[in-house]
Amino acid sequence: MGRLRSDKVAIVCAAIVVIFILIAVFAPLLTRLFGVEVRAGDPSTDTDIFNFPVIGPPDHGFTWKAPLGLAPDTGDDNLAEWLYGARTSLMIASISTVFATLIGITIGLVAGFSRGWLDRVISFVIDVFLSLPFLLAALAVAPIIVLRFSDRPGLLKWATFFSLIFILIITGWMQLARLIRGEVLSLREREFIQAARVMGVPTRQILFKELLPNMVAPIVVSFSLTLPAIVTAEAGLSYLGIGVIGQPSWGQTVLKAVPYFDTYPLYLYAPVLGIFVLVVALNLLGDAIRDAFDPKTRR
Amino acid sequence: MFGYIVRRLIAGVLVLIAVSMMVFAIFFYGPNDPALAYCPESRCTPQRLDNLRHNLGLDRPAPQQYVEYMSGLVKSRHIESGGISIDCNWPCLGVSFKYRVSVFHYLWDRFPATFSVAAGGAICFLIIGLFSGIFAARRRGTMADKAIVSTSLFINAIPYYLLALLAYLYLVQGLGLFPETGYHSPFKDGPFKFVGGLALPWLMLGIAYSTQYARFSRGAMVDALNEDYVRTARAKGLMERVVVRRHALRAAIVPVVTIFGLDFAYLLAGTLFTEKIFGIQGMGLAGLDAVQRTDLPMISAYTLISAAFIVVANIVVDILYSVIDPRVRLA
Repeated sequence: MGRLRSDKVAIVCAAIVVIFILIAVFAPLLTRLFGVEVRAGDPSTDTDIFNFPVIGPPDHGFTWKAPLGLAPDTGDDNLAEWLYGARTSLMIASISTVFATLIGITIGLVAGFSRGWLDRVISFVIDVFLSLPFLLAALAVAPIIVLRFSDRPGLLKWATFFSLIFILIITGWMQLARLIRGEVLSLREREFIQAARVMGVPTRQILFKELLPNMVAPIVVSFSLTLPAIVTAEAGLSYLGIGVIGQPSWGQTVLKAVPYFDTYPLYLYAPVLGIFVLVVALNLLGDAIRDAFDPKTRR
Repeated sequence: MFGYIVRRLIAGVLVLIAVSMMVFAIFFYGPNDPALAYCPESRCTPQRLDNLRHNLGLDRPAPQQYVEYMSGLVKSRHIESGGISIDCNWPCLGVSFKYRVSVFHYLWDRFPATFSVAAGGAICFLIIGLFSGIFAARRRGTMADKAIVSTSLFINAIPYYLLALLAYLYLVQGLGLFPETGYHSPFKDGPFKFVGGLALPWLMLGIAYSTQYARFSRGAMVDALNEDYVRTARAKGLMERVVVRRHALRAAIVPVVTIFGLDFAYLLAGTLFTEKIFGIQGMGLAGLDAVQRTDLPMISAYTLISAAFIVVANIVVDILYSVIDPRVRLA
């Protein structure tokens, strides 16, 4: 912790991440504070004949009614979309990372401790999952979810949300599982584990009370590097049109805003900057945490 | 060695069968009714739906359907639908009901574009990554080293698609520094058009992927330059260039091969972002397009072919690894 605290980059990145988390948590409060609403646009009154917004940028000056302007075509408020986009992004990323980490730890512990046939089966399963990139899984599952729930938009919203989390979890646990398995294989031969077994400590207690505390460092490092990867993945998938449907997401806004990059740059910049700043801050923070835990990697 | 290769191949085939079963299960159990996806919404009568179900063989038990589906890998199939019959030549992974063509051949026609993107990108990131990594390692601790390390850390932290998207919007659409991107056959349209259309995608892949190669090769090179045999080589009075190239580099290149093999497979399987952003008509774009049209046979074929690339690349890397590094024993 001391090493982390003396790292200026880490402090700045941590501050940025905390701000984004606060934005995500208090998104409903912030939207009410600014007097804006999600998905409240009315194309007939909010956009002109060229489908550009009638108030705010790019054709009219700044207005408090819509601090980041309205979206072309739909007239939705950009600030509200952005705030809730942060919420979607961080919610998906944190839920997926937590579960992927838990599954990785459990499977790694079981594989490393059991050895024998169970270890071989688990290693094979890990190899199978490693040969399936999440992009392909998302591509395969997205149309199915849409087909199944297309007549129920209320359910579709949550179905895409949870199927995305599910995909990110089942394609995200393998690296940590391998790492933990390797650690367990080397730790289980150490004296304190042997002593615990001789004393008749139950296996579960050996796993969670003796082995796990020795593996805090790799787990924390893996967690802090998985989080930005999943934020990147979520925004990327919704940019490709196979992410969440029916709720605000930065990637979706980027996809919609690309054609307007020269006529309405602010529309594109808001979500691009959101993804950029959050992912870079999380990544650099993760690097700093790794360096702090591992004295061998020096910048 | 031979036994190892055979065992790896068998394991690879097992993985592919597992993937094909998963894909099959997703597509044939996932939706309420796969036939609905093929039925035009406005003219979908119950009778037509029944017909479709029968023609697609959806009224038969699942294992039989799976065997039928997989039989396309060994023989040509003949698929009938709605009064028309379509020949699906070997290898047959189904027929796209939106385009009415064999999905394998549709995707295979787009393979050159995807391969060009991946191979050109790989050459770029290998050159940029290895050169900057080795350059930094030889000048360890200097300003140049620190600049390379921190730049690669920073670029590594940026999502690739944002980098590529902004580059495309500003360098191609805004400033016009690069010609409009896209795939042109080097044989039909000439090599200049081919290179011009892919130059920016290659460069962006090169910059984005080079960071981890720079980091890996720098680390490996720093370790190698501290080895005793490098000191011996220097003491013998060998030229510094020879010491670096013939002695240190050979040891440093090993970890690079592993990540390169995997990266290349993932590139082949998923140049999705590159193809979408730069508008290159490759396999990835065909897969994304199929998602928009809910063309299930196309998506399953795309998933299977991509998984096959990754499995094959994994095996090739493991074998190459033992050839390059004699310390790795295959048993």
